[in-house]
Amino acid sequence: MKKFVAGMLCFCMMAAVATACGGGDSNGSDTPATTVNNGGGDTGETTEDPATDPANEGKTPINLYAFTEEVPMMCQCFLDTHPDFAAQYYINKTVIPTTEQQYQPALDQALLNGGEDAPDMYVCEEAFIIKYTQGDMSSFAAPYEDLGIDVDAKIEEAQIAPYTVECGTNPDGKVVALGYQTTGGAFIYRRSIATEVFGTDDPDAIAEQIGAGTNSWDAFWDTADELAANDIAIVSSIGDMWNVVKHQPNTSAWVVDGALNIDPNRESFLDIAKDLIDNGYCNDTSAWQDAWFADMAGIGEKPVFGFFGPAWLVNYTIAPHCGGDSAPADGDFTQGNTYGDWAVCQSPVGFFWGGSWVLCNNDSDKKEAVGQIIEWITLDCTNTGLQYYWANGMISTDNYAEDGVMPEGTYTSDSVASAVVMGMSDGSSDFLGGQNMFDVFVPANEFASGEGMTQYDENINAEWQNQAGYYAHGEKDRDAAIEDFQTYVSENLGL
Amino acid sequence: MAEVATTKLKKPSAINKRKNPIYMTVIYIVCIILLLLCLMPFWLLLVNATRSSVEIQTHAVSLIPSKYLQNNWKVFQGKDFNVAVGFKNSLIISTCATALAVYFSSLTAYALTAYEWKLRDGFFGFIMGVMMIPGQVTSIGFYQMCYKLHLTNNHLMLILPSIAAPMMVFFMRQYLQASLSIEIVESARVDGANEFFTFNRIVLPIMKPAMATQAIFSFVGSWNNLFTPMILLTKNELKTMPVMVSLLKGDIYRTEYGAIYLGLFLTVLPLIIIYLLLSRYIVAGVALGAVKG
Amino acid sequence: MGKKRISYAKWGYIFSIPFVVAFALFTLYPIVYTVFIAFTDLKGAANTTPHLLKDDILKNFKEVLATSQFKQSFGNTWKIWIMNFIPQMGLALLLTAWFTDNRSKIKGQGLFKVAFYMPNIITAATVAIMFNAFFGYPIGPVNDLLIRFHFVDSAQNFLIKKANGQNIVAFIQFWMWFGYTMITLISGVIGIDPSIFEAAEMDGANRVQTFIYVTIPSIRTILLFSLVTSLIGGLNMFDIPLLFLNGGPDNATLTTNVFIYKQAFSGAYLYNRAAAASLIMLCIIVVFSSLLFWLMRDRDAEKAKKLRKQAIKEAKLKAKGVA
Repeated sequence: MKKFVAGMLCFCMMAAVATACGGGDSNGSDTPATTVNNGGGDTGETTEDPATDPANEGKTPINLYAFTEEVPMMCQCFLDTHPDFAAQYYINKTVIPTTEQQYQPALDQALLNGGEDAPDMYVCEEAFIIKYTQGDMSSFAAPYEDLGIDVDAKIEEAQIAPYTVECGTNPDGKVVALGYQTTGGAFIYRRSIATEVFGTDDPDAIAEQIGAGTNSWDAFWDTADELAANDIAIVSSIGDMWNVVKHQPNTSAWVVDGALNIDPNRESFLDIAKDLIDNGYCNDTSAWQDAWFADMAGIGEKPVFGFFGPAWLVNYTIAPHCGGDSAPADGDFTQGNTYGDWAVCQSPVGFFWGGSWVLCNNDSDKKEAVGQIIEWITLDCTNTGLQYYWANGMISTDNYAEDGVMPEGTYTSDSVASAVVMGMSDGSSDFLGGQNMFDVFVPANEFASGEGMTQYDENINAEWQNQAGYYAHGEKDRDAAIEDFQTYVSENLGL
Repeated sequence: MAEVATTKLKKPSAINKRKNPIYMTVIYIVCIILLLLCLMPFWLLLVNATRSSVEIQTHAVSLIPSKYLQNNWKVFQGKDFNVAVGFKNSLIISTCATALAVYFSSLTAYALTAYEWKLRDGFFGFIMGVMMIPGQVTSIGFYQMCYKLHLTNNHLMLILPSIAAPMMVFFMRQYLQASLSIEIVESARVDGANEFFTFNRIVLPIMKPAMATQAIFSFVGSWNNLFTPMILLTKNELKTMPVMVSLLKGDIYRTEYGAIYLGLFLTVLPLIIIYLLLSRYIVAGVALGAVKG
Repeated sequence: MGKKRISYAKWGYIFSIPFVVAFALFTLYPIVYTVFIAFTDLKGAANTTPHLLKDDILKNFKEVLATSQFKQSFGNTWKIWIMNFIPQMGLALLLTAWFTDNRSKIKGQGLFKVAFYMPNIITAATVAIMFNAFFGYPIGPVNDLLIRFHFVDSAQNFLIKKANGQNIVAFIQFWMWFGYTMITLISGVIGIDPSIFEAAEMDGANRVQTFIYVTIPSIRTILLFSLVTSLIGGLNMFDIPLLFLNGGPDNATLTTNVFIYKQAFSGAYLYNRAAAASLIMLCIIVVFSSLLFWLMRDRDAEKAKKLRKQAIKEAKLKAKGVA
């Protein structure tokens, strides 16, 4: 019996492997046909070692460290669209996800130990960008001007979102990192609820209703009260509010002169969390968990009015979880399909959430070459630049290897760093009831602030959010939460 | 002690002779509940491998399979790695590491049991000490060493360290102490066999059950090892299965959960097979000698 | 033995060489490095040049011992280990009693034995994800069940309560390891001379009496072996507490190893303190294990000595016989 089971499993595995190989082959044979459109170059077959690939013979490798496939895909796109460059260089990528908390240790070791495997180019995200631009590892980040980029003029020309520049500037005031995407945040709300409670779903009217751009939360809490009276929650989770409060403009950093500093803005989050729970302003969910997604489809405990978030939250998170891929035929959004029921308006205070920055290693001997790629990714504001492709849904990580660059609107669009590119692009979608979200996200990117960040934020933010949760749920009182937080910070960060 | 105890018990009981139905029912109920508890995760993995990411995010746990298996498979192998390559790398590393660990641990254990040498007790104490070192912090030193010597992207760095497996040496020693009689070794010596030959031809066969069980534990450990290969193997064609599966999580905004579960299931499949094949040793033979007598 | 006695001691050294060499090459440097940095000022991600502490060489150790988190994590580690070890051992013993009882032959034993070890082959990361999903709040399978069967009126936020966090981690550890312990114990029982059981049955001992007075004393060594390995494993408990709740809620599942990991790899990269904490833990584990080994070692040594004497005697007899 046991042998039989084992035999069956063996067989299944063999079959699986066999199909894998078969699939790989057919995949491989598809590739050449499509890559021709991209101006030649070799896109597929990345399981081969690029160093031993005959197509790369005589070329110089550019080592790239990244935590997603996004930037490697963009680099590939650069090679495909710049044949002259591709004749000299190829990309040798290393992708390590941040989810296992191994990206930073690996990147740090690779940077510290140098040698020919050291990264020439690397990517950082919001949670740890400061460590690499202003913190412990900042000495490795090469100023963009050393890469042959006329960075200040370019930033002005492309109208790059100011907070991304702030985060990417080193202590000497030189720009060492910029992004392609922007993650300035807005309030993403349900039209049907707006109409029901406030009599209008117009983004401008709702913006006024929640006090958009006032830098004050008063109007927002009044709105929350009004919604709560109708048994509607204004947001889904406590964490949704933290994403906004965290990077609120005019907030001083967690660490000032080597000591912990709790800014009043951030301290107020304790009370916000408590109010959310006590007054039923939220469904008490947690981000990325079942109940949070249920609120996107409108099937949570109570209806939820909206979410705070950037453009990626609209297209990559809410849209796939809204319960449908076209608006419900009967126009009833309460039955688990909210497609088309969403709209975007300005947030009461500016904020940003997430984002990636691209850096070049100071010790790299290929700075000029890396500079060309970086410039194309972060500062090119023409319609053949990466950002135009990205903002108009012309490339996608999932399909690039097969499809290459596609016409505008093929994939979902995302907000990008250059306001000039955003101006040329169309961010409207049926999901938002035809609204062009870029109308809101361009000012949102202007409105976000990159000040008051430290390299310890990832850690400190997580603990502050935890303590606020314990306080809000009555696990401890306010003073105890603050005290425990201070203990944590002093013991974990040695401050 | 056993004899003393048993002579004290004088109450003959008829219950012993026949099966008590209530007692048996309780046993079966408990066993079946435990069985379900233990097999459930495998079923959940399998079910989630057939569900779409959105389904999984909406309801993380479900007992009913969905229809997205093929789709997940496409996503899974559409990412730029090759499942067959991952299997091959994992298999090479785990098999070699296990073989080395089992063989050299047996050898070291034999040295600790069969011979009288001056530093023996000290050496054993040393192995015990090594066994207890918390692993988290030494990892910094290990990574640093690998990077400094430019030994990253080398399977050998994942295989060779297993030659020194203190836990296994400890277990093997316990086993040998009870099951190896010096007499056999002596008689082999009389027959003129050299020591190395004696170990390979006479001692190793005696250790088979212990080796099988330790092989399972070692193989499972090596196959599931994630952190070390993740940092040391940066080239796609060298990556192991678990590293490849964790790469699927890399895209923070759009995670393909269905494909991840499919990957997890494929990762655990070989382990199940190997475990089932070796399980008769586990059930019957683990530490057989360690308690004999 | 007509020939002169040859000393085989050198083979002991020779056969230990591979272990020692591999150890020296791959493990020694990291360990020495750890010990060294425990006495230095090495902290910060980019710092690669440690300096020995001049004014107070034991500063890192003092700092670690002064942190409330280390004390807390130390308490948690013991608590969670004991909470998982007692039921684990209890259940393993119970199952061992059932499966080795000749009088009630349980059908499908093989299946049960094999299946009970299976949780051990899934990676900790997967286990952590699953359990996190089970206890989802306000929507999740456990909450759904409890509400459906009217155990509770509204969804419970299980994972925010400290006690729940510890209980669930202890349960996961228990669930992952009871099969392993059971298998170890069963094989111990299989090794017992069957005639002892027969004698017990003849004397009219019932199942419980047989197990308590005959079986358990006979597997004393293997019980100790399980205890020691479980203790070492328990004091090094790491992946489940880290991956399941990241040491939370409110440090309730912060074990010493998670504490060490967080000191070294998050926030300020306090390598020196992490190394010092590792050394402190090492000392504690060594002390406790040595105590247990001392209990076990006595018997082993005696047994080995007896065996050797016997072997020599027999060899001599044999030699005589041959002559």
